[in-house]
Amino acid sequence: MHFAIRFLTEYHYDAPVTDNLNALRVRPATTSTQRCDEFHTRIEPEARVSRHLDYFGTEVIEFGIPTSHEQLTIDVRARVVTSAPPDPPEGSWDGLLTPAYFDAAGEFALPWQDQPSIAGLESLHDALEAECPLETLETLCELIPDRFEYRPGATYVGSTVSDLLDMGAGVCQDFVHLSLVLLRRRGIAARYVSGYLWAAPHDEGADSMELDTHAWLEALLPCSDGRGEPVWVSADPTNRGLAGEAHVKIGHGRFYSDVPPVKGLYMGGATSQLEAAVTMSRLDPQTSARA
Amino acid sequence: MSSRAPTPALDARGEEEAIDSYRPQAPFLDELFELDGTPRPTARALVEELRRLGPAGLIEAGRRRDAIFMQQGITFETSGGGGATHERPFPLDLVPRVLSGQEWRDIKRGLAQRIRALNHFVDDVYHAREIVREGLVPWRLVVSCSHFARAVHGIRPPGGVYTHVAGCDLVRHSDGTWKVIEDNVRIPSGISYVLENRAAMARLVPELFASYRVRPVDHYPQLLLRALRSVAPSAESEATVVVWTPGPANPAYFEHAFLARQMGVELVEASDLVVRDDVLYMRTTRGLERAHAVYRRLDDDFVDPLEFRSDSLLGVPGLVRAYRAGSVAIANAFGTGVADDKAIYCFVPDMIRFYLGEEPILENVKTYLLSDPEVLEHVLGRLDQLVIKPTGESGGRGVMIGPHAEEAEIARMRDVISAHPERWIAQDVVRLSTVPTVGIDGVLAPRHVDLRPFAVFGERIDIVPGGLTRVALDDGSLIVNSSRGGGSKDTWVLEDGDDADRAGPPIADTQPPALPDLRYGAWTGQQQQQQQLHPPSPQGPQRRKTL
Repeated sequence: MHFAIRFLTEYHYDAPVTDNLNALRVRPATTSTQRCDEFHTRIEPEARVSRHLDYFGTEVIEFGIPTSHEQLTIDVRARVVTSAPPDPPEGSWDGLLTPAYFDAAGEFALPWQDQPSIAGLESLHDALEAECPLETLETLCELIPDRFEYRPGATYVGSTVSDLLDMGAGVCQDFVHLSLVLLRRRGIAARYVSGYLWAAPHDEGADSMELDTHAWLEALLPCSDGRGEPVWVSADPTNRGLAGEAHVKIGHGRFYSDVPPVKGLYMGGATSQLEAAVTMSRLDPQTSARA
Repeated sequence: MSSRAPTPALDARGEEEAIDSYRPQAPFLDELFELDGTPRPTARALVEELRRLGPAGLIEAGRRRDAIFMQQGITFETSGGGGATHERPFPLDLVPRVLSGQEWRDIKRGLAQRIRALNHFVDDVYHAREIVREGLVPWRLVVSCSHFARAVHGIRPPGGVYTHVAGCDLVRHSDGTWKVIEDNVRIPSGISYVLENRAAMARLVPELFASYRVRPVDHYPQLLLRALRSVAPSAESEATVVVWTPGPANPAYFEHAFLARQMGVELVEASDLVVRDDVLYMRTTRGLERAHAVYRRLDDDFVDPLEFRSDSLLGVPGLVRAYRAGSVAIANAFGTGVADDKAIYCFVPDMIRFYLGEEPILENVKTYLLSDPEVLEHVLGRLDQLVIKPTGESGGRGVMIGPHAEEAEIARMRDVISAHPERWIAQDVVRLSTVPTVGIDGVLAPRHVDLRPFAVFGERIDIVPGGLTRVALDDGSLIVNSSRGGGSKDTWVLEDGDDADRAGPPIADTQPPALPDLRYGAWTGQQQQQQQLHPPSPQGPQRRKTL
């Protein structure tokens, strides 16, 4: 699929602020199933921008506005082409114990930091008993939306997995964090993915829609014959299934705070009002999709 | 050192009891006495002077020491009963420890070798990971270190130096060998006590120095300043160096202020610093002034809320950017904590062989990594014979010494370790050597010691002769940390004409003008929660699966 993405963020401060430093992780990644053809950022007030790849390979765009201002605009545009991922491998549980799997898994297999203190994980854990890791992953993608309500406002950016369990509701960020805890308890390495999702229903033939950034996950599954390299498979527990070409990945990390789309700090006690929107448009002909 | 304090008139038998009844405790090695109670050759003249001073002389000198330390603020806080803390003079024992020139040269070579290897390791972990690809250090272990700093991946600091100040803790086993018990390459503290101890000893008991040529230690601030200037990204003579302290509430604030004063540089806090366009500046009355090298005395976690803990507003936002841009040198570099993790410690001898192609000069203590289930089982079976340490801590926090622990404590430890074996290591108990130490009655008794020498890495590695000898003040105790009731001793390295320290020109002992209080405003954070504004429609999922 071929998309044009515009990610517009505007902060309005109720008093002048200075030294506004921000780091953006918003550029679509280039992977085996995705290519970012064009990418532009515009910052208002104007600022010198520097870029680097972080530890996880995500491009980070940094800027700082030292002088006094009352509004900040971050305007990001990208064009991306995606293709469907190959069929996920159905390797056995034994495949999780090989040296090749350990090497590829790294920190994404480590136990979640505050896991022992999280109450209420047991029944979820038991429900994920399955024949192979892939089946556990697919079961998980049904289990989370079955057990938890998707409700913006139920949680906030710093919410923990315990908060989601207490509230019984949350957003995709929370769903992914809980999924990572559960997968790692089963010995499956899993990481947080930040990106954009084309969520338009097909039959309406929409070619443009307003969204926000989205989060899903990648789980490391052993390859089917047990000998080859394990494969990272994308899954979206908010949307009940494996992720596909409608998912545009920005980057991954251990959890949300490794890949926040916008992270910033400014000097001054002003409070800010945030308006952020992602507009996604399909650029390729949709006849085939509708057929 | 020829001036002599008048010897107090004393009962002769009391004098004899102070020294002549002293007996080392087998099997421990005593550094001043042979097992039969005769002084070692290097200690003979010292023992003679101690005999002359006698218990009353030592008690009197101790009284003057406490008064001077209280007056100069050379104190530390201890928590007494009921949660109250109170200031106590830093407990300096008046009997020095004596190392021969040859002993010191071996230690120094071993430390320099070890620190070079640790520095290589830090560089490797954040770049090529060769030691991991070689199969010597498991990557899983590196990424599980709490101080592994992903934020500085791929950043190579000015000069390639990461571990500018290192304080490795050494102990001397009963067979006479020196072993490294742990490495400290984050923000090791204690050097100010080394300098203050020497100055106090020369003032309180000058007679002890009478027959000795003791190598000086007071050039440390010059070594540090020279190293910081040598890595600063500017002409050396123009480099502005600052000491960054978390503030007066920090237990080591005295040392931060001491070093800044001795080096003649500014002592700053986060609110004195600001990053603009990837360059670090210090706020002064003349406006912003660029800072080229920062000797920082706070943990990575708190240095930059944009990159490390975002809930920390103690830090300087953008500092990691400036560091990444190469516009400022940070000592020690961010991320060095990965090298002094206690699980990584086990691999230091391998690092020395791998990076330097040399055999380690200093040994490690036998250490057990508990992530291996078989090792774990073995260790759980003999917790009462081992020392247990948390991997990511320093300063003796969380350490359990098996042979000295109550049964209930061991049982608790068993549960804690079983829950998170990867967060703990076990070590054989080392038979720490002893040095005679003055008791409250003025009589000497053997007490266990370790040694923390301080190395400074700039263009080369310099190590101040000796270091901080820490002493466990309780009979039989092996805990030397000052936060847990330990004291310290002056450490003498004897001059033998072979390895003189060339001290540079002295630095003016002046305090630069205090920074005006320019603190204005506070930092506010902004980040967005990830969510779709439009929750998925009920029919969405099935279709999405076909995508």
